[in-house]
Amino acid sequence: MRETRLWSLHILVLPIIAVLLGAHFAVMHYAPVFYGMSVEKAREFSTMIERGKSITQLVLYILLLAAGLYHGMYGVRGIIRELPLTPTLAKLVDVGIIAFGLFIFALGTYVTWWTYSYKIGG
Amino acid sequence: MNSNKPTAYNNRLGIKGWVYAGNYTFERYLYIGHRLSGLGLIAYMVLHIVETANRMRGEEAWQGLMALFASPPFKIIEYLLFAMAVFHAMNGVRLIITELGFFLGKPKEPVYPYSSSIKRHRPLTFVIMGLAFLIIILGGSSLFFP
Ligand code: HEM
Ligand code: HEM
Ligand code: HEM
Repeated sequence: MRETRLWSLHILVLPIIAVLLGAHFAVMHYAPVFYGMSVEKAREFSTMIERGKSITQLVLYILLLAAGLYHGMYGVRGIIRELPLTPTLAKLVDVGIIAFGLFIFALGTYVTWWTYSYKIGG
Repeated sequence: MNSNKPTAYNNRLGIKGWVYAGNYTFERYLYIGHRLSGLGLIAYMVLHIVETANRMRGEEAWQGLMALFASPPFKIIEYLLFAMAVFHAMNGVRLIITELGFFLGKPKEPVYPYSSSIKRHRPLTFVIMGLAFLIIILGGSSLFFP
């Protein structure tokens, strides 16, 4: 049952990833098409800070972090656990994956927060 | 490796079992592609989070990075990333359709000539992969036809 739930979550986060990653590409790469802004401009520091001030963007980035990392790390866990592992090793893999995923999530969340609370001119 | 010990899942061939598909079906190769692109995407995502954290080192560090990414090798890497994402997403949609049991046909008695659910599913597979191919080419059109 627990494994079923973990797998279902792996699938249920996909719509979130599809929408947010699509939007992310639209901003970063297709800025000329959607915003009439050059790709370089879209990736400039000041543009990023300007964008980052919105609370919507803060929430959406944290959502993408959570959804993307969960889907990806669960996928990696599945791949590693297909190897012939002893139960102890399998447990260790689980703990390692969770710890690593949470660490990267924390870093990403901190960085997004940093952008959100950035004060122009110090 | 210790193949007689109790394991979480006994994958006798290990890594060889993933990568070598020999004379198996088209779908077996899609599986390899899905796995490689999934690993590529998560590797990218982790690096990307670490890399974009450089913004905390200030505007100059950030602009330096962006200039680096505008160089030709990175454009190619970036395009590969896009191709991986499209392939993974489209094949993922196919997997979900399959896992939910659509387009597999009804189970029936195995009377010669046999038809497998994979064969009945295959037209859809070709359509989805055709679409993925089209999106990958169109997405890179400005790269291929400047
Ligand atoms: C809209 C986008 C995406 C879709 C539709 C999608 C769909 C899927 C599906 C259906 C599976 C197989 C699950 C199963 O059958 O048990 C899967 C596996 C996986 N996905 Fe995704 N995915 C997407 C984006 C991503 C992203 C952004 C990453 C990385 C951050 C990722 C990493 C992985 C990994 C590592 C696996 C495991 C592969 C394996 O077991 O061979 N995917 N994905
Ligand atoms: C080639 C395409 C990509 C480009 C050019 C790009 C660019 C960027 C940039 C410039 C930022 C900084 C924030 C901002 O300016 O608003 C960012 C953040 C982010 N990107 Fe991407 N990205 C790309 C692909 C991806 C992919 C494929 C994923 C997910 C699998 C992803 C996930 C994220 C996340 C989660 C953040 C927030 C990071 C954090 O808060 O620390 N990006 N991206
Ligand atoms: C994954 C999706 C992406 C695709 C398919 C893609 C595709 C392309 C293509 C075809 C070009 C050349 C033609 C043009 O300027 O339109 C290009 C240019 C460029 N891309 Fe991307 N790219 C992607 C993601 C990214 C990301 C994530 C970044 C930044 C981190 C980025 C940065 C750039 C830059 C700086 C240029 C040069 C722009 C110019 O010369 O006008 N791209 N990209």
